Amino acid sequence: MFKKLMATAIAFIAFGAQAADIPIIGQVESKCVVTQDRQGVYGNPSASVLSTDAVDGGVEPVVRIDVVLADAYKAVITHPSSFSQSPALSDVVAWTGSTSVEAVSDAGMSAYDTSKIEYDYTTEIDLTIAGSTWFKISSEADYGYQKALPGGTYTAVVEANCIAL
Amino acid sequence: MRFVMLLLGCLLSAEIHAHQWTPTYPTMEQSFVPGVYQTKMYLWNSRKDVSYYTFEVFDKDFVAVPFATGERTARVEYLKKKEVVIYIREQELPDVVYICSRSQILQQDNTATLLSSRICSKIK
Repeated sequence: MFKKLMATAIAFIAFGAQAADIPIIGQVESKCVVTQDRQGVYGNPSASVLSTDAVDGGVEPVVRIDVVLADAYKAVITHPSSFSQSPALSDVVAWTGSTSVEAVSDAGMSAYDTSKIEYDYTTEIDLTIAGSTWFKISSEADYGYQKALPGGTYTAVVEANCIAL
Repeated sequence: MRFVMLLLGCLLSAEIHAHQWTPTYPTMEQSFVPGVYQTKMYLWNSRKDVSYYTFEVFDKDFVAVPFATGERTARVEYLKKKEVVIYIREQELPDVVYICSRSQILQQDNTATLLSSRICSKIK
Protein backbone atom coordinates (compact mmCIF):
# COMPACT_ATOMS: atom_id res chain seq x y z
CA MET A 1 0.00 0.00 0.00
CA PHE A 2 2.80 2.39 1.04
CA LYS A 3 4.77 1.53 -2.13
CA LYS A 4 1.72 2.32 -4.30
CA LEU A 5 1.27 5.68 -2.57
CA MET A 6 4.97 6.57 -3.11
CA ALA A 7 4.77 5.60 -6.80
CA THR A 8 1.66 7.79 -7.28
CA ALA A 9 3.31 10.73 -5.47
CA ILE A 10 6.47 10.45 -7.62
CA ALA A 11 4.34 10.26 -10.77
CA PHE A 12 2.53 13.47 -9.77
CA ILE A 13 5.82 15.24 -8.96
CA ALA A 14 7.32 14.10 -12.29
CA PHE A 15 4.23 15.32 -14.15
CA GLY A 16 4.63 18.73 -12.49
CA ALA A 17 8.28 18.93 -13.57
CA GLN A 18 7.41 18.11 -17.17
CA ALA A 19 4.88 20.92 -17.26
CA ALA A 20 7.42 23.59 -16.29
CA ASP A 21 8.14 26.13 -19.07
CA ILE A 22 11.65 27.31 -19.74
CA PRO A 23 11.41 30.55 -21.69
CA ILE A 24 14.06 31.63 -24.18
CA ILE A 25 13.91 35.37 -24.58
CA GLY A 26 15.34 37.22 -27.53
CA GLN A 27 15.10 40.79 -28.72
CA VAL A 28 15.67 42.29 -32.14
CA GLU A 29 16.80 45.88 -31.80
CA SER A 30 17.85 48.39 -34.39
CA LYS A 31 21.58 48.56 -34.91
CA CYS A 32 24.27 49.25 -37.45
CA VAL A 33 27.50 47.28 -37.75
CA VAL A 34 30.41 48.61 -39.80
CA THR A 35 32.81 45.91 -40.92
CA GLN A 36 36.07 46.19 -42.80
CA ASP A 37 35.82 43.26 -45.18
CA ARG A 38 38.94 44.00 -47.18
CA GLN A 39 41.75 46.41 -46.50
CA GLY A 40 42.81 48.49 -49.48
CA VAL A 41 46.33 48.55 -50.88
CA TYR A 42 47.81 51.17 -53.17
CA GLY A 43 49.51 49.98 -56.31
CA ASN A 44 52.18 52.16 -57.92
CA PRO A 45 51.62 51.81 -61.69
CA SER A 46 53.79 54.82 -62.54
CA ALA A 47 56.20 57.03 -60.62
CA SER A 48 53.60 59.72 -59.93
CA VAL A 49 50.49 57.61 -59.24
CA LEU A 50 49.15 55.54 -56.35
CA SER A 51 45.93 53.69 -57.13
CA THR A 52 43.74 51.02 -55.55
CA ASP A 53 42.59 49.82 -58.98
CA ALA A 54 43.42 46.14 -59.59
CA VAL A 55 44.72 47.06 -63.07
CA ASP A 56 47.27 49.29 -61.34
CA GLY A 57 48.30 46.54 -58.93
CA GLY A 58 46.19 47.83 -56.05
CA VAL A 59 43.38 46.39 -53.96
CA GLU A 60 40.13 48.28 -53.46
CA PRO A 61 38.94 48.38 -49.85
CA VAL A 62 35.51 46.91 -49.11
CA VAL A 63 33.31 48.04 -46.22
CA ARG A 64 30.25 46.05 -45.20
CA ILE A 65 27.40 47.84 -43.45
CA ASP A 66 24.73 45.73 -41.75
CA VAL A 67 21.46 47.22 -40.58
CA VAL A 68 18.85 45.24 -38.68
CA LEU A 69 15.91 47.54 -39.43
CA ALA A 70 15.10 49.32 -42.69
CA ASP A 71 15.08 53.14 -42.87
CA ALA A 72 16.95 53.52 -39.58
CA TYR A 73 20.41 54.54 -40.84
CA LYS A 74 22.24 56.18 -43.72
CA ALA A 75 25.74 55.28 -44.85
CA VAL A 76 28.12 58.19 -45.39
CA ILE A 77 31.41 57.06 -46.94
CA THR A 78 34.28 59.41 -47.69
CA HIS A 79 37.18 58.33 -49.88
CA PRO A 80 40.63 59.77 -49.15
CA SER A 81 41.54 63.37 -49.95
CA SER A 82 44.92 63.41 -48.20
CA PHE A 83 47.55 61.05 -46.88
CA SER A 84 47.43 60.34 -43.18
CA GLN A 85 51.03 59.22 -43.42
CA SER A 86 53.59 59.89 -46.18
CA PRO A 87 57.10 61.16 -46.77
CA ALA A 88 57.48 64.95 -47.11
CA LEU A 89 55.77 66.09 -50.34
CA SER A 90 56.73 69.35 -52.06
CA ASP A 91 53.96 69.40 -54.66
CA VAL A 92 50.18 69.03 -54.68
CA VAL A 93 48.39 65.71 -54.86
CA ALA A 94 45.26 65.43 -57.03
CA TRP A 95 42.79 62.98 -55.49
CA THR A 96 40.04 61.07 -57.26
CA GLY A 97 37.86 58.25 -56.04
CA SER A 98 34.39 56.83 -55.76
CA THR A 99 32.16 54.57 -53.69
CA SER A 100 29.94 51.94 -55.26
CA VAL A 101 27.90 48.93 -54.20
CA GLU A 102 29.86 45.72 -54.69
CA ALA A 103 27.49 43.11 -53.24
CA VAL A 104 24.10 43.02 -51.50
CA SER A 105 22.12 40.63 -49.33
CA ASP A 106 18.81 41.77 -50.86
CA ALA A 107 18.23 42.36 -54.58
CA GLY A 108 16.43 45.65 -53.86
CA MET A 109 19.67 47.14 -52.51
CA SER A 110 21.10 47.30 -56.02
CA ALA A 111 19.12 50.57 -56.34
CA TYR A 112 21.52 52.15 -53.82
CA ASP A 113 23.97 52.86 -56.66
CA THR A 114 21.42 54.98 -58.52
CA SER A 115 19.88 56.70 -55.49
CA LYS A 116 23.18 57.67 -53.83
CA ILE A 117 24.10 61.33 -53.34
CA GLU A 118 27.69 62.34 -54.12
CA TYR A 119 29.41 65.55 -53.09
CA ASP A 120 33.09 66.47 -52.67
CA TYR A 121 34.74 63.18 -51.65
CA THR A 122 31.62 61.82 -49.95
CA THR A 123 28.83 59.43 -50.93
CA GLU A 124 25.58 59.24 -48.95
CA ILE A 125 23.17 56.32 -49.20
CA ASP A 126 19.91 55.87 -47.28
CA LEU A 127 19.80 52.27 -46.11
CA THR A 128 16.16 51.63 -46.90
CA ILE A 129 16.35 47.82 -46.73
CA ALA A 130 17.43 45.69 -43.77
CA GLY A 131 20.47 43.51 -44.42
CA SER A 132 24.08 43.76 -45.51
CA THR A 133 25.59 45.95 -48.21
CA TRP A 134 29.20 45.74 -49.34
CA PHE A 135 30.64 49.05 -50.54
CA LYS A 136 33.77 49.17 -52.71
CA ILE A 137 35.88 52.31 -52.52
CA SER A 138 38.36 53.36 -55.16
CA SER A 139 41.09 55.91 -54.60
CA GLU A 140 43.80 57.41 -56.78
CA ALA A 141 46.47 59.98 -55.94
CA ASP A 142 48.32 61.80 -58.74
CA TYR A 143 51.39 63.69 -57.61
CA GLY A 144 52.31 67.05 -59.18
CA TYR A 145 52.66 67.12 -62.96
CA GLN A 146 53.99 63.62 -63.59
CA LYS A 147 56.37 64.09 -60.70
CA ALA A 148 57.88 61.03 -59.03
CA LEU A 149 56.52 60.28 -55.57
CA PRO A 150 59.30 60.11 -52.95
CA GLY A 151 60.02 56.61 -51.63
CA GLY A 152 58.33 55.63 -48.38
CA THR A 153 55.06 54.47 -46.85
CA TYR A 154 51.81 56.11 -47.92
CA THR A 155 48.62 55.65 -45.94
CA ALA A 156 45.21 57.21 -46.50
CA VAL A 157 41.98 56.83 -44.54
CA VAL A 158 38.52 55.87 -45.79
CA GLU A 159 35.79 57.13 -43.45
CA ALA A 160 32.70 54.95 -43.15
CA ASN A 161 29.89 56.53 -41.13
CA CYS A 162 26.60 54.95 -40.19
CA ILE A 163 24.26 57.68 -39.01
CA ALA A 164 20.86 57.07 -37.44
CA LEU A 165 17.96 58.72 -39.28
CA MET B 1 53.49 41.99 -58.51
CA ARG B 2 49.73 42.31 -59.03
CA PHE B 3 49.25 38.74 -57.83
CA VAL B 4 51.24 39.50 -54.68
CA MET B 5 49.13 42.62 -54.03
CA LEU B 6 45.89 40.67 -54.54
CA LEU B 7 47.13 37.87 -52.27
CA LEU B 8 48.03 40.47 -49.63
CA GLY B 9 44.55 41.97 -49.91
CA CYS B 10 42.92 38.55 -49.50
CA LEU B 11 45.07 37.71 -46.46
CA LEU B 12 44.29 41.04 -44.83
CA SER B 13 40.59 40.43 -45.38
CA ALA B 14 40.58 36.99 -43.77
CA GLU B 15 39.55 38.35 -40.36
CA ILE B 16 36.31 40.11 -39.53
CA HIS B 17 36.70 43.70 -38.37
CA ALA B 18 33.44 45.19 -37.11
CA HIS B 19 32.30 48.05 -34.92
CA GLN B 20 28.88 48.22 -33.27
CA TRP B 21 27.32 51.06 -31.23
CA THR B 22 23.89 50.70 -29.64
CA PRO B 23 21.13 51.64 -28.97
CA THR B 24 20.14 53.39 -32.21
CA TYR B 25 17.76 55.74 -30.42
CA PRO B 26 18.97 56.35 -26.84
CA THR B 27 16.88 58.25 -24.33
CA MET B 28 18.23 60.75 -21.83
CA GLU B 29 17.39 60.22 -18.16
CA GLN B 30 17.96 62.29 -15.04
CA SER B 31 21.33 61.36 -13.51
CA PHE B 32 22.23 61.36 -9.81
CA VAL B 33 23.41 64.98 -10.23
CA PRO B 34 20.63 67.61 -10.42
CA GLY B 35 20.59 69.39 -13.80
CA VAL B 36 22.60 66.65 -15.51
CA TYR B 37 21.10 63.98 -17.76
CA GLN B 38 22.65 60.68 -18.75
CA THR B 39 22.29 57.84 -21.22
CA LYS B 40 24.02 54.48 -21.44
CA MET B 41 25.59 53.42 -24.73
CA TYR B 42 27.22 50.12 -25.60
CA LEU B 43 30.23 49.61 -27.84
CA TRP B 44 31.17 46.23 -29.26
CA ASN B 45 34.64 45.96 -30.77
CA SER B 46 35.34 43.14 -33.18
CA ARG B 47 37.91 45.12 -35.12
CA LYS B 48 41.20 43.40 -34.39
CA ASP B 49 43.07 46.34 -35.90
CA VAL B 50 41.44 48.87 -33.54
CA SER B 51 41.80 49.10 -29.77
CA TYR B 52 40.76 52.70 -29.12
CA TYR B 53 37.49 54.52 -29.70
CA THR B 54 36.53 58.15 -29.12
CA PHE B 55 33.07 59.34 -28.20
CA GLU B 56 31.44 62.48 -29.59
CA VAL B 57 28.15 64.36 -29.16
CA PHE B 58 26.75 66.61 -31.89
CA ASP B 59 23.77 68.81 -32.66
CA LYS B 60 21.65 68.41 -35.83
CA ASP B 61 24.35 70.12 -37.96
CA PHE B 62 27.15 67.95 -36.55
CA VAL B 63 28.52 70.79 -34.42
CA ALA B 64 30.12 69.44 -31.25
CA VAL B 65 28.07 69.75 -28.03
CA PRO B 66 29.79 69.76 -24.59
CA PHE B 67 29.38 66.52 -22.68
CA ALA B 68 31.09 64.45 -20.01
CA THR B 69 31.98 60.78 -19.86
CA GLY B 70 34.44 58.57 -18.02
CA GLU B 71 36.95 58.57 -20.89
CA ARG B 72 36.68 60.54 -24.14
CA THR B 73 38.98 57.97 -25.72
CA ALA B 74 38.68 54.48 -24.32
CA ARG B 75 40.58 51.27 -24.87
CA VAL B 76 38.23 48.48 -25.91
CA GLU B 77 39.87 45.11 -26.43
CA TYR B 78 39.08 42.90 -29.39
CA LEU B 79 35.74 41.07 -28.94
CA LYS B 80 34.88 43.07 -25.82
CA LYS B 81 31.83 45.16 -25.01
CA LYS B 82 32.04 48.49 -23.19
CA GLU B 83 29.32 50.44 -21.47
CA VAL B 84 29.73 54.18 -22.00
CA VAL B 85 27.71 56.62 -19.91
CA ILE B 86 27.27 60.03 -21.55
CA TYR B 87 26.38 62.98 -19.29
CA ILE B 88 24.84 66.15 -20.69
CA ARG B 89 23.86 69.33 -18.85
CA GLU B 90 20.21 70.29 -18.91
CA GLN B 91 20.89 73.51 -20.87
CA GLU B 92 22.62 71.53 -23.68
CA LEU B 93 19.95 68.85 -23.79
CA PRO B 94 17.71 70.49 -26.47
CA ASP B 95 20.71 70.70 -28.86
CA VAL B 96 21.84 67.09 -28.57
CA VAL B 97 20.95 64.96 -31.59
CA TYR B 98 23.81 62.55 -32.33
CA ILE B 99 25.94 60.46 -29.97
CA CYS B 100 28.78 58.84 -31.89
CA SER B 101 31.71 56.51 -31.45
CA ARG B 102 34.68 56.63 -33.80
CA SER B 103 37.52 54.14 -34.25
CA GLN B 104 41.07 55.36 -33.78
CA ILE B 105 43.65 53.97 -36.17
CA LEU B 106 47.25 53.22 -35.37
CA GLN B 107 50.06 54.09 -37.75
CA GLN B 108 50.93 51.30 -40.17
CA ASP B 109 53.97 50.42 -42.24
CA ASN B 110 52.31 49.39 -45.50
CA THR B 111 51.16 51.60 -48.37
CA ALA B 112 47.44 51.13 -47.93
CA THR B 113 44.04 52.60 -47.19
CA LEU B 114 42.78 52.32 -43.63
CA LEU B 115 39.18 52.39 -42.44
CA SER B 116 37.94 54.86 -39.88
CA SER B 117 34.46 53.78 -38.78
CA ARG B 118 32.00 56.05 -37.02
CA ILE B 119 28.49 55.10 -35.88
CA CYS B 120 26.06 57.74 -34.66
CA SER B 121 22.94 57.10 -32.62
CA LYS B 122 20.17 59.66 -32.62
CA ILE B 123 18.13 61.19 -29.83
CA LYS B 124 14.60 61.67 -31.10
